[in-house]
Amino acid sequence: MKVPAPIELDFAGPVRRSRKMGGALCAAGILACAALGYDFQERLDERDSVEARIGALTRPHRSARPVDARSVAAAAAIEKQLWVPWSSLLAELESASQDVSSTVSLLEVEPDAAKHLVRITAEARTLPDALAYLERLQKSPVLRYPMLDSHELRKDDPEHPIRVKLSAEWRT
Amino acid sequence: MSPLWRDEVAILVGPRRIALARRARGLKPRVASATEIAVAGHIGDFGPTLTRLADVLAEPTWQDAVARVIVADPWARYGIVPWPNLRLDGDGRLSHARYVLAENYGDVVSDWNVSLADTPPGRAYAACAMPSGLKTGLEETLAGARLKVVSLQPQLIVAFNAWREQLPTDDAWFVSLDEGSLAAVHLSQGAWDRVHMTRLSQDWGIELERLRAFGRLSRSGVGTRMLVDAPAWMRLAHTRSEDFEWLESERGESSHQLALLQRVYA
Repeated sequence: MKVPAPIELDFAGPVRRSRKMGGALCAAGILACAALGYDFQERLDERDSVEARIGALTRPHRSARPVDARSVAAAAAIEKQLWVPWSSLLAELESASQDVSSTVSLLEVEPDAAKHLVRITAEARTLPDALAYLERLQKSPVLRYPMLDSHELRKDDPEHPIRVKLSAEWRT
Repeated sequence: MSPLWRDEVAILVGPRRIALARRARGLKPRVASATEIAVAGHIGDFGPTLTRLADVLAEPTWQDAVARVIVADPWARYGIVPWPNLRLDGDGRLSHARYVLAENYGDVVSDWNVSLADTPPGRAYAACAMPSGLKTGLEETLAGARLKVVSLQPQLIVAFNAWREQLPTDDAWFVSLDEGSLAAVHLSQGAWDRVHMTRLSQDWGIELERLRAFGRLSRSGVGTRMLVDAPAWMRLAHTRSEDFEWLESERGESSHQLALLQRVYA
């Protein structure tokens, strides 16, 4: 049944009486908070317990981890090696040798995949032949910054060839 | 006494009577003490009432509590203030209410304290004025007894709020009778839309006839009811009437003032 609204008029100040419903709601709120806190604590304990059990189960296998890490590093190194453009690199070096009338013989090609660097060891009859080979490599579309790292006259060889060490970056 | 649940003292002050009730609070609140004291005062002077109240409050029984004070209707003036067409702040609404009260009661209320009912926007609201000296005097008297005033309401408001669950929402009069005064409120759509006040003479027989006439006139509309809250001795003298209905408590009879005090806590 509907009833007239209360008249809230007070000379002592605003009428703000606590209602029974308000008190009940407040009590219900406090109880709900307490229940939530209890439930939260229970779940925290449960999580700690589960973590402890998982820790106990995984502990004996921990020694395998370094091996796994090494395997991963090795696999990464192999993967990098696989990225070296061997075909184009060797083809270019051979082409350059032919362009200088095969006066230069390749002895060693050593790539450094991490630095995209290739180190070349070669022998030529004379130093001008070696420099001509270097000049040819400097025009190569596959290589950049070819440099003469060292040269050496091989006195132990009867033909006294010039051994040169070159380095260059390959283009990606 | 717990500091969280301080005892409450309800005090009704009128020109001829003071009533007090102390309620001990806690899980099971109960009325610890109650009394009613006659005062040789009159409507135009609240000095004797305050003096007598100060004497009564000298007793430790009534001290050190929070206080809810009810001021008898002879010392209150009511008005219904229409919702203004223009937007008003709190001070503006108060000025508007003062204007309406001055229209009804004259300049005598110009320096009285005015309080407004908390009403939703757009609806007329009740305003009440009481002598400023009475409010100040009550606060000083109660402070002397370590009573903190948390509520100061006029009698009609307390009586209406106490009985409202037994009142119809529409087209009904609620009448609060007391020795020497009558206050009547008309209800429309659950809210006050008219309020009347009048002094009563000492001859209750004549006043009863006036009340019946008022009831007959007010029932000009079909279905209009008039429900009257009155002291037990008035009701007992005239138990039946076709022109109005007595509002009677199911708790049994006690003095009107003490019953009113107990309804403060309802």
